[in-house]
Amino acid sequence: MASNPMQQFTVHKIGPEIKIGGLDLSFTNASLFMVISTSVILFFLFLGSKEKKIIPNKIQLIAEMFYTFVAKMISDTAGSKAKPFFPFIFSLFMFVLSCNMIGMLPYSFTVTSHIIVTLILALFIFIAVTVIGFIKHGFKYLSIFVPSGVPAILLPLITIIEIISYLSRPVSLSVRLFANMMAGHTMLKVFGGFVVSLGLLGGWLPLSFSVALTGLEILVAFLQAYVFAILTCIYLNDALNLHH
Amino acid sequence: MTIPDDFKTRLKIAKSKIKNQLTDDSEKRGSFMGNAFKLGTELVAAVAVGTIIGFILDSWFDTKPWFIIIFFFLGAAAGMLNVIRAANKMQKRE
Repeated sequence: MASNPMQQFTVHKIGPEIKIGGLDLSFTNASLFMVISTSVILFFLFLGSKEKKIIPNKIQLIAEMFYTFVAKMISDTAGSKAKPFFPFIFSLFMFVLSCNMIGMLPYSFTVTSHIIVTLILALFIFIAVTVIGFIKHGFKYLSIFVPSGVPAILLPLITIIEIISYLSRPVSLSVRLFANMMAGHTMLKVFGGFVVSLGLLGGWLPLSFSVALTGLEILVAFLQAYVFAILTCIYLNDALNLHH
Repeated sequence: MTIPDDFKTRLKIAKSKIKNQLTDDSEKRGSFMGNAFKLGTELVAAVAVGTIIGFILDSWFDTKPWFIIIFFFLGAAAGMLNVIRAANKMQKRE
């Protein structure tokens, strides 16, 4: 029985060591669970779109629900201009959601509880949004750092603050997802450890806590995927429609 | 084949019920909780980024600890700006 609550986050190699040019590209349990969550999405959406019935069966219904959920989120937050980015945001949402949900299964590994994974996702979004902004507006995109109606004396200060606020986007995006997932899983493990150490007599209280926390964690897993996707929409909106 | 009127009205009632539930309950609560989760890190992240920028500038210009102090406060200001903006956006969406 693993008593260390942080042990669940260790990455270890599966299979042989692969080294290419000084880079360690070995297949790890993190990569395994990324592959699993991607194939779960693919399998699920394949089943959902196999039979295109007018009256959908259960799997098709759920797949359509995800589609309309993301489509509505995009049109609500970023408007019709963001429609071409639907595939990107949909795959992002589904990937984070399935990584979080698969992490909730016992004996599994939560990919999103590692900051490097979420940081890469967030940095990718950040760079993509910046590039999209520059493509759409050219150098006028820099005007998001200069809010209108600010006195000239305060302008340098406000511009620096705006730049810091812009740069803090990937940090807040990645830290939020990573911290929520890691804290939740650590807490579950700690309460699980209490059950073992208190034994048959006193173990019932932490056990009931664990059950309640599992429910909460499933909610958090969904909400974090939702927040991740909706913030991407908001950033995209800022880049596509230049005004505050 | 004609659909009996009784069924039509029942369908209508059921549909309106579903619509109300969706907008009232789960959807709204979901987005509220999403917003609540959003605000906390927004504040902290800007402070962290500001401090890191200050640290980098300090090691470039060898001016310890001035830039780190200045940029810490600028980062805090940026964090508050982020939170105010996010809160404004939430109010507008309602």
